[in-house]
Amino acid sequence: MATVTYETASLTYPGTAKPAVDSLDLEIGDGEFLVLVGPSGCGKSTSLRMLAGLEDVDSGSIRIGDRDVTHLPPKARDIAMVFQNYALYPHMSVAQNMGFALKIAGTPKTEITKRVADAAKLLDLEDYLARKPKALSGGQRQRVAMGRAIVREPQVFLMDEPLSNLDAKLRVQTRSQIAALQKRLGTTTVYVTHDQVEAMTMGHRVAVLLDGLLQQCDTPRALYDRPANVFVAGFIGSPAMNIKTVPLSEEGGRFGKVFLPLTREQIAAAREGDGANGSVQVGFRPEDTDLVGEGTGGVPVLVDLVEELGSDAYVYGHADFDGSEERFVVRTDGRNAPEMGQTVYVKPKVGHHHVFHAVNGERID
Amino acid sequence: MTAATEHVTPPADAPAPAAPDAAPVPARRERLNPLNLLNSGFLVLWGIFTAFPLLWAVMTAFKTNREILSLPDCRAGWRFWVWLWCMVDPPTSLEFDNFTRAWTQASIGVYFINSIIVVSGSLVLTMLLGSMAAYALARYEFPGNRIIYFGFVGGIMFPVFLALVPLFFVVDNMKLIPVVGQYITLNSYGGLILVYVAYSLPFTVFFMSAFFRTLPTELAEAAAIDGCGHFRLFFQVMLPMAKPGLVSIGIFNFIGQWNQYVIPLVLMPDPDSKVLAQGLASLAVSMGYRGDWAALFAGLTLALLPLLAAYLLFQRQVQAGLSAGLLK
Repeated sequence: MATVTYETASLTYPGTAKPAVDSLDLEIGDGEFLVLVGPSGCGKSTSLRMLAGLEDVDSGSIRIGDRDVTHLPPKARDIAMVFQNYALYPHMSVAQNMGFALKIAGTPKTEITKRVADAAKLLDLEDYLARKPKALSGGQRQRVAMGRAIVREPQVFLMDEPLSNLDAKLRVQTRSQIAALQKRLGTTTVYVTHDQVEAMTMGHRVAVLLDGLLQQCDTPRALYDRPANVFVAGFIGSPAMNIKTVPLSEEGGRFGKVFLPLTREQIAAAREGDGANGSVQVGFRPEDTDLVGEGTGGVPVLVDLVEELGSDAYVYGHADFDGSEERFVVRTDGRNAPEMGQTVYVKPKVGHHHVFHAVNGERID
Repeated sequence: MTAATEHVTPPADAPAPAAPDAAPVPARRERLNPLNLLNSGFLVLWGIFTAFPLLWAVMTAFKTNREILSLPDCRAGWRFWVWLWCMVDPPTSLEFDNFTRAWTQASIGVYFINSIIVVSGSLVLTMLLGSMAAYALARYEFPGNRIIYFGFVGGIMFPVFLALVPLFFVVDNMKLIPVVGQYITLNSYGGLILVYVAYSLPFTVFFMSAFFRTLPTELAEAAAIDGCGHFRLFFQVMLPMAKPGLVSIGIFNFIGQWNQYVIPLVLMPDPDSKVLAQGLASLAVSMGYRGDWAALFAGLTLALLPLLAAYLLFQRQVQAGLSAGLLK
């Protein structure tokens, strides 16, 4: 068990001008479950592969514990990795797959058998040890891949979208199993996913990446409540936050007919920099809205679609908003949801809104 | 649920992802339709064409010379069919003496052993070097990779006759190399083995590198993380996965090298170092003079056996290798 530290680690793939990972600074605590999340091509997998030693680091360094592993080969880093397609050796049985690393390391046979048996018990694979991977179901293969990592008792687990190849139901089930397993083993884990629900539910902390740049790294709660910029605000949370650019006045932002009071500091911050043009970005989550009656200051929204989820309903609509059409998502009580084609009046809950700079998208507090 | 049933039924997990796709494959036999009949008819005809000469040669190998030569000379009209029947007419008694004569008097035994030594040496080397080269070309990027690859591919279209004369002088001059020279020059096993390997490598590399390219990169990465060095990665992970391809190309090379005639004709002129193909050719000449057709066919049958055995043993893998990569 160990900490993991990225120190301004960068990587530019040959033939590209833009770095895939741009001076990543990240500190992962001992026993922590850190999730790297972001849209495709954001550099999350590359970051993980740099830690694994599968990609060379161009500049900066990576440390596991106190060891500088920047230029060590993968096998010298004491890590185990779970791949998206599991990468099980097809010609070896489950037991051989799980014990392969130990066999290479020259661990005594009895020790290998014992550790494989322990891991198999933990993962409910005892009946399948003699089988070849092709005779297993997707979920079982996934568990073998996990088992192969566990048996090594490495300092760090690396997981590269290990649940992507499972069906939705199994994914939810395995999600909690992995989180519970990690808690039990207490091994530092770096987990890559593009699924923000996975990130929020599994990670102790979540690092959000975009275009090779770390946007924010914080607990799931903090990411949700205090997104550092517009991208994080839009990426975390489903359905996404409603983010609109609104005109800025002396007292705050005017949101249709709703006035959002801002503090003096916020207004000053929003005016900084070029190109702000007296506007500011405000955002509010679908649940931070009220549907109010006509004439009480709500934004009139024409309902395009209603998603009924039982307890809640998500109302998707658009509003004619200062001459341009703006889309809104609002969460309401599932029992008295509006109908398609109806006009509802949406009023953001004052105090639950997020304010971002109009140009650089940084959060303004 | 008892332990026994649990073993049979898959757990709550979803079945393997491939299972739903595999389901609609029709298990029952298709109904007979004219096209199928034509297909099967053609296949039967093809089978007869292929099997008949083999069958004929093998049966003739067991006949006495008298039996072989006492065929009725009636090759026209309906009598052609009588003649044909006589050809496939089973021998009245099994003349194993034919094989003994072929093996000893006609030196087929010596040639056979020469062939086995040369082909087993060259086959092992071809497969080892070929798959190693193919692996490096398929999975590692280095300057010159493409040039080397196309060099190999270019070797495929090089007709052997073009190289025959220079090859003779090169191999002949090998004797000038001190110490090892005598083992790799004309009339030596080593010389022929090296030439066979060089001759077989292009297609082997071409075929195997295409095969290695289809293997997932993640497996190599997983192995690297598990602690494999390059050699262990190749021999313990990649090579076992390439087994279907190795078997196909192995049989292909085996047949090619076993039946090779022109190269040994040039490089192994000494009677004691002839290989089987040369031996059979000279057998055909000498037996033609002596009229010992039975021994000739016995020799042919002997030459056939290793190929037949290889096919029968690896038939399944050959098919798997040829269709590998088509379906994923």
